[in-house]
Amino acid sequence: MPILKGTEEPHDPVCFREDGLRLDGRKKDEGRPFSCEVGVIKNAQGSALVRHGGNQIYAAIYGPREVHPRHMAKQDRGILRVYYRMCTFSVHERKSPAPNRRENEISKVIREALEPVLFLEAYPDSQIEIYIEVVAADGGTRCASTTAASLALADAGIPMKSMLVGIAAGKVQDQVILDLGDKEDKVGQADVPAVVVMKDKSISLLQFDGEMSLDEMDLAFKYILKGADAIYQKQLAALKDKYEKIQKEAELESKDIKKDLPVESAVEAKETKSKESKPEDKTPPAAEAVAEPEPKEA
Amino acid sequence: MMNASKIISGLERQYITKLMKEGKRIDGRGLLEYREISITPNFSPKAEGSADVFIGKTRVMCGVKYDVGRPYSDNPDKGVCTVMAEFVPIASPLFESGRPGEDAIQLARVVDRGIRHTDCLDYKKLCIEVGKFVYVIFVDNYMMDHYGNLTDTAALAAITALLSAKLPCGKLNEDGEPVWDGTYMNMPINEIPLSITFGKIGDTIFVDPIFAEEMVMEGSIAFAVDEKKQITSIQKYRSATWSIKEILETGKKAVEIADALRAKLNLRQYIPKLE
Repeated sequence: MPILKGTEEPHDPVCFREDGLRLDGRKKDEGRPFSCEVGVIKNAQGSALVRHGGNQIYAAIYGPREVHPRHMAKQDRGILRVYYRMCTFSVHERKSPAPNRRENEISKVIREALEPVLFLEAYPDSQIEIYIEVVAADGGTRCASTTAASLALADAGIPMKSMLVGIAAGKVQDQVILDLGDKEDKVGQADVPAVVVMKDKSISLLQFDGEMSLDEMDLAFKYILKGADAIYQKQLAALKDKYEKIQKEAELESKDIKKDLPVESAVEAKETKSKESKPEDKTPPAAEAVAEPEPKEA
Repeated sequence: MMNASKIISGLERQYITKLMKEGKRIDGRGLLEYREISITPNFSPKAEGSADVFIGKTRVMCGVKYDVGRPYSDNPDKGVCTVMAEFVPIASPLFESGRPGEDAIQLARVVDRGIRHTDCLDYKKLCIEVGKFVYVIFVDNYMMDHYGNLTDTAALAAITALLSAKLPCGKLNEDGEPVWDGTYMNMPINEIPLSITFGKIGDTIFVDPIFAEEMVMEGSIAFAVDEKKQITSIQKYRSATWSIKEILETGKKAVEIADALRAKLNLRQYIPKLE
């Protein structure tokens, strides 16, 4: 039996406010809030967390490693395997933990979106596995999952021809809009989830269902490219951010190591330094020399 | 292929065993020292309650959902609670995708028994109409990063997710169907069980094993301890044997450690306030 009557999700067709903005205050060509982070799953070779609207999606990379079962291996190239899964508690009504047909299809389209940017021929007899776990779903999970998978691949250091960004456009109440939320997705007239190869702006994942003229679709793609670029900048920032953090940690650590150096060598280091530079540098070693005998007095 | 990586290097094994004999551990902790714990309650807006729990680097996410279902015929006035564990392959190179294996099932059942036998949930308050409609509570644990001691991490995630949950209150309408009455209730929780796991290497017993220690240890034992300082469930894992003296002494330590953790974590702070 399902959930209590009266707690279902609202399904009225209204998606715009009186002032012409969308229910969450967005303009037609405005994406939802987006943030991302890499290196979130420590066991994985590479990983990412993407928060896109109300979506929270983790992606983790394992590999390249040996193929299991063996008969799936290809001698001239590596294989990519993508597992898109939704947690039972990621949706309004509990999802069964067993993977369903929808998850299998989405895994396949995400895999096919990623394949063109990888150099799979460089990994004969091996596999790269991408595990995607949707812990909170809010419309557009296949797009956000691809964004996360692309980040995780980059984090794993796997060479890529380009980063990928997934974002959807659609049509609600006869208006073309960017980045449908859960409700807009469910009550809208059309939905175009797409993945953009950022290097040449080609499309590597495309699905569509609903009613839309080709002119409207042209507008939808304009919105998609605009939305994708904003997300791409955040992807790059997240990848750089990880290395900046590592750099800072390394600097702090090297400071600690210098602190722990034995006194003699520290004095030596200071002496050589003072020969080269100004005499003011002499003050700190003097202070240390005073501090040294204190324990004897005590 | 997977089995290859389950083996730890001989050198590391010897080192861990040697340290254990001296009462030391590879990560510098004391034998009865627990790792740092961090908890993010209600991270998932679609769940009735949820928790993202780290014990050290080990991470488990748990979400609580409900269905309205029929009660069991021998307990017509009691709701149902099911605990599940998913060893999703995101967490470790050792996990494979597919149906839950025996480890996942065992873990889920251990966490489940911790909750069931502690008088943790007031099942009578999970009844909408005797003999007809009850809440069926699902507690789903997802292992997100495996660095050892998944049992304690999952048990802590499960109880925190339950504490943080808000259930819509049900009543019967004129047609005898269960409907929402417009209000919410907290999960009816009486007791907060905590799981404390000990590993055993040689004759040395230590709390909260990390992954490398799990690879070396002959066995482990998990105790669920309630707020009255009673042990409410025990699970012995793997092939190590334990003397009765060891079991009783370790049980006593489990109660002490659980008590200290309970005071430090103050889990009842995660119960949401209802308007």
